[in-house]
Amino acid sequence: MKKKMFKPFMLALGAFSLVVVSCKKDDLKPTDDHVHNDSELITTLELKFSGKGVLRNDTTFVITFNDPDGDGGNIPTQFDTIHLLKNSTYNVELTLLDKSKTPTDTISNEVLEEANDHLFFYSSNPIGLVNVSITDKDGNGKNLGLKSTWETSNSGFGKVKVKLMHQPGVKDGTSATGDTDVEVDFQVNVK
Amino acid sequence: MKNLYVLVLVLFLFISGNTIGQNCTHNFSGIVSDIHNAAPISAIEIYIKELNKKVETDSLGRFQFSSLCPGKYTIVCSNRDGYKPIVKLFDVQENIVYNFKIEVHLKELAEVKITTLIKPKDKLSTLNATSLFGDELEKNRATNLGDIVKSIPGVNSLNTGNSVSKPVIHGMHSNRVLILNNGIRQEGQQWGSEHAPEIDPFIADKISVVKGANSIMYGSDAIAGVILVDTKPLPDSASLGGEINMVGNSNGRGGTIASFLEGKFKRLPAFSWRIQGTLKQNGTIAAPDYLLINTGLKEYNFSYELGWKKKNYGAEIFYSQFNTTLGIFGASHIGNLTDLQHAFESKVPLESTSFTYAINRPYQHVEHELFKAKFYINTGKVGKLNLVYARQYNWRYEYDKHGPLNNLLASKNNPDLEFHLTTHTLDLNWSHARRNGFKGTVGLQGMQQANTYRGRKLVPSFENGSIGVFVVENWQYKRWELEAGLRYDVKQLSVYQSEKIVSNQSVLVKTSHPFEQATASLGANYTIDTTWKCMLNLGTAWRAPSVNELYSDGLHHGAAAVEYGNSALKVEQAYVATFTGLYTPNEDLHIEVSPYYNFIQGFIYRQPTPTPVLTIRGAFPGFNYAQTDAILRGIDLYTSYHFTHWMEWKVKGSLLRAWNQAANNWLIQMPADRIETEFGFHLDHNQRLKHIYIGPSIQYVAKQHRVPEGSDFVDPPSAYWLTNLNIATHFRMGKNHAEIGMHITNLGNTRYRDYMDRFRYFTDAMGRNISFRLKYRF
Repeated sequence: MKKKMFKPFMLALGAFSLVVVSCKKDDLKPTDDHVHNDSELITTLELKFSGKGVLRNDTTFVITFNDPDGDGGNIPTQFDTIHLLKNSTYNVELTLLDKSKTPTDTISNEVLEEANDHLFFYSSNPIGLVNVSITDKDGNGKNLGLKSTWETSNSGFGKVKVKLMHQPGVKDGTSATGDTDVEVDFQVNVK
Repeated sequence: MKNLYVLVLVLFLFISGNTIGQNCTHNFSGIVSDIHNAAPISAIEIYIKELNKKVETDSLGRFQFSSLCPGKYTIVCSNRDGYKPIVKLFDVQENIVYNFKIEVHLKELAEVKITTLIKPKDKLSTLNATSLFGDELEKNRATNLGDIVKSIPGVNSLNTGNSVSKPVIHGMHSNRVLILNNGIRQEGQQWGSEHAPEIDPFIADKISVVKGANSIMYGSDAIAGVILVDTKPLPDSASLGGEINMVGNSNGRGGTIASFLEGKFKRLPAFSWRIQGTLKQNGTIAAPDYLLINTGLKEYNFSYELGWKKKNYGAEIFYSQFNTTLGIFGASHIGNLTDLQHAFESKVPLESTSFTYAINRPYQHVEHELFKAKFYINTGKVGKLNLVYARQYNWRYEYDKHGPLNNLLASKNNPDLEFHLTTHTLDLNWSHARRNGFKGTVGLQGMQQANTYRGRKLVPSFENGSIGVFVVENWQYKRWELEAGLRYDVKQLSVYQSEKIVSNQSVLVKTSHPFEQATASLGANYTIDTTWKCMLNLGTAWRAPSVNELYSDGLHHGAAAVEYGNSALKVEQAYVATFTGLYTPNEDLHIEVSPYYNFIQGFIYRQPTPTPVLTIRGAFPGFNYAQTDAILRGIDLYTSYHFTHWMEWKVKGSLLRAWNQAANNWLIQMPADRIETEFGFHLDHNQRLKHIYIGPSIQYVAKQHRVPEGSDFVDPPSAYWLTNLNIATHFRMGKNHAEIGMHITNLGNTRYRDYMDRFRYFTDAMGRNISFRLKYRF
């Protein structure tokens, strides 16, 4: 290469290096106060009971678990105890909400849309305190769990665990596979 | 009495006369050049054993010793690339000119050893520095930085499975270990234990670890040590050359291709260049009994380097990009305590898979860009001034196991966690060459960085700045070398958080954390010939709490734990003592023993909450960031012995005892004691195949039983034995050089779990891996 070709070559190389250099740039600054939360949260679990309530013959009442930051570090702000009458049957509807969004997003609608990949589990501790049966099905005829019946017999107290498992393609009726999206242990009082 | 006095005088005159009366004006000089193309080689050390004197060849390959007295001298011409030095005896009775011709392309097997390969200005001379190059580097180069440096005793790794590996020096990692990418502090989200350093080992031909508080020259926070990833110096002779590396590995059925091209034009001798690139892909990793779902990896990296070198000044530009996508083992992205318990009790991972190269959720995608510009000028014959500017972008995207249920949100395929970190650094330093026994460096360093996030909030946005000024002086006299350093840093971390004032209005609140402190270092080396060397360094270091330690608030998905930061944390103040005793009576024996002691006031660690934390997803283990006083002490050992010229034996070992004073118990997450032994067989007989090395090795890692009772979900895993085999051959192909190697790790396909691998809760470690490598250098 002749010497006088070097200058333009060097300039080209220098320019090239500057071009490749400015590949990335952050369009956001730490001082920008922008909404960070595009991500979905499940903040609230509501159980709507229809049947004989404990107080004043209520026909429906709602039990709520509310944790505004979802799976964040702050403790839940509302965690109701379920009061049931003995020897009774209740129809229960489960709703999941994301209250961090405006307007509130009803997550359980999306669970219903993807019913084939989800399953709710209800387990009573001690066994027999409450007998929960799932009444709704997904597209493949397998249990879903947004709707259930709760049957009580003798009085007592304990817990009922409500668990939502995400089981894409591996729904086998057990909680052995998949990931837990929701798990709440409600205190239950049967009188 | 008078006679005695006369006798002593005569004796004295005789002795002094013997030296003064002699003609001590002889020169020994010459040129060191490449044996093949006669190109002069600079920066080669020539050493006179009897006088303990050394010089380095200049840019024209020249060296000279003057004012030599007549006598017999052993001259040692050192070499690069791990090749044996040339040792010759000369009888100097007049001026002698001798030219050394050395091999610079062919590499002999390199040992892990204390070396002067690191430029003295890059480290404190009284600290133990070990370099990996040649075969010791090649056998692991296609893995990752954390796994490569484990070859050095005292260095381990903190793993999140196979693909995420962070170097651990003397039990400390992340923000207590500084990694220098071509001389620039690597700044990514290194506070995260599952955030691996974003550096491609193929940009370097040498990776070095300096153990101990190297806190004067790079930053006050290098408590445990510094890892230097250094690129090969640009060619200094007119040529066009390069290298092609190909590596294939059986476990993961993947491989790497890395190559570079470098050159220098005859017509423009000041200018040299290099371009480099790496492509890497791996599929599903296998443990001895099962496959690990979603453990694929894809990586592409490239870099270029331009140099302009004149007699008294020069400039360099370096640009690199690192891009990786790595799958996170599906059965480890576990939910709450119930699920964790279920996973621990299961003998096999809860999810199974067949082999695939596909990478699905959960996965990490990280991009790191480095731009470095350096300018240097010789200030007369006295010293050298360096000015270095660097800019780094670190983009980190993490995708959770499953995306949002909301279809609109899901279709955007946004990462669940996203960080953008921009860092600017500026270094100005001046070093003066040795005069009257003194040499040293004075420097000024500045750094400014800004971090923003999108998606889930784990740590807030912040700005971080620091300015430091330092001075190091080194004095050498006969067998002694003394060193002292002082540094002062001023830092400020400013955090920006949104706070709600009314229901739909929030205001941005800035909280500033200023820190400033001095750091000091004092060291001494004592050398007797090439037989004995003792190195002692006493140093301080300090580390400001990082943003996650101050402000974590939430579920850290990668750790399946809720972490609570503490914004009142103070700095960590470390007092470090390191000693190395080196015994090398001849070329066959090398014994190196390095005890160390760290006392760290305000050591920041995670303390489990008394009860689990309740969230809508269930109960999770909680951790508070707390401070304690910690003592970390231990000993590293390396010995090698050549029984014959074709057989050698190496032993490496390390012990560590880490104590938490406030809890009056052991510190968690510290590596267990271990020992490794290797037998090496060198076969040189075959004419065409210049050199063959066969090295089987056995490693024993003890069970880490120094953990507080009940501090962990499961008991630390049992002790284990691993056998490995390394075979390498080097040969010439025409004028060029080629290498073929095979490295088998876990030869016995042992089922084991390592305490420092966070996946030990869910799966056995990787089974046997056979890796073939091919290198062609032209």
